[in-house]
Amino acid sequence: MRAILSTPVFLAVLLAALAATGTAQAAQSWGLQNEEEVRFEATVVDLLCELTGDCPAKCGGGKRQLALLTDEGELVLAIKDSAPFAGAADELIDFCGKRVQADGLFSTNRGHKIFALQFVREAPDGKWRGANRFVPKWAAANGVDAKSKVAQQWFRNDPRVKKLIGENGKLGIGLEAEKKYLESE
Amino acid sequence: MKPRYTTVLGGLLSIALLGVATSAVSAATPQRVKVTGEVIDSWCYLSEIMYAEGSAHYQCALWCAAGGVPVGILGEDGTVYIVLKLGDDTTNVANQAVIDMQTRKITVDGDLIERDGMNYLLISQVVDDQGIVNLTHEDYGIQPFGE
Repeated sequence: MRAILSTPVFLAVLLAALAATGTAQAAQSWGLQNEEEVRFEATVVDLLCELTGDCPAKCGGGKRQLALLTDEGELVLAIKDSAPFAGAADELIDFCGKRVQADGLFSTNRGHKIFALQFVREAPDGKWRGANRFVPKWAAANGVDAKSKVAQQWFRNDPRVKKLIGENGKLGIGLEAEKKYLESE
Repeated sequence: MKPRYTTVLGGLLSIALLGVATSAVSAATPQRVKVTGEVIDSWCYLSEIMYAEGSAHYQCALWCAAGGVPVGILGEDGTVYIVLKLGDDTTNVANQAVIDMQTRKITVDGDLIERDGMNYLLISQVVDDQGIVNLTHEDYGIQPFGE
């Protein structure tokens, strides 16, 4: 199973599924470990605030991880949204302090249960939206068209990432060491 | 004999105080810890959608950290910690200082808060940084696309 999950083909399929997620309104399988499609109601909270009582205005304005606090008191960390390589804070920040219906996937693996957000709406009957706000926000912040290839491949074009890879290489071992490795392949 | 409403009121007050006390305990019971481990991307590691340790995963770990996925530390005993604070900096979405630490083996002092099966780490200070020492690319290439 692990070998299958690591293949480029699987990842290509997964990225396609991530993109397709924006067109439906119910959780879609991503083939995760011990995956469970779920829809539940909860309040969007600033995770650090909930744990420590350190609570800046507006959940930290998008600079803090957000969680979903259920009526049963369970604190669910929203670890991922539907955009490639993006977390859920950009999606949930619009709902800070509000009750939402969250739709997505639980995956239980390596002793932890994580949640990937695919759709969200304000409870009880707000309009559903796909959890894919990250790319348009990134595009706006970087002055490019959200539908451009640059934005769709944001992770390859993010200036912070490009700077670090320019310094350390894609393997983080330094440019010379990486060059030797790639030439040996 | 005390009036009944006094007894009822006392009972309600006790329940309320118990509730406050319970809430306070569950909200914040940090444990002082020292943790040594590799800085990881929590999503890729916990979901296992790809191999997500060491140099093979460095580039992807940068992508996810810049994308706001929670950054973690994989302790030497296999425990996964989610980093929520670094020193006085409470930014934990795409924090540049945390992005810079990706894949490095570090030792930190901090407070651990366990809640609903997750381990949340508030780092006071990084006391040691060995750099990227988990060289996994010989076996796993460049994750996830090989380039």
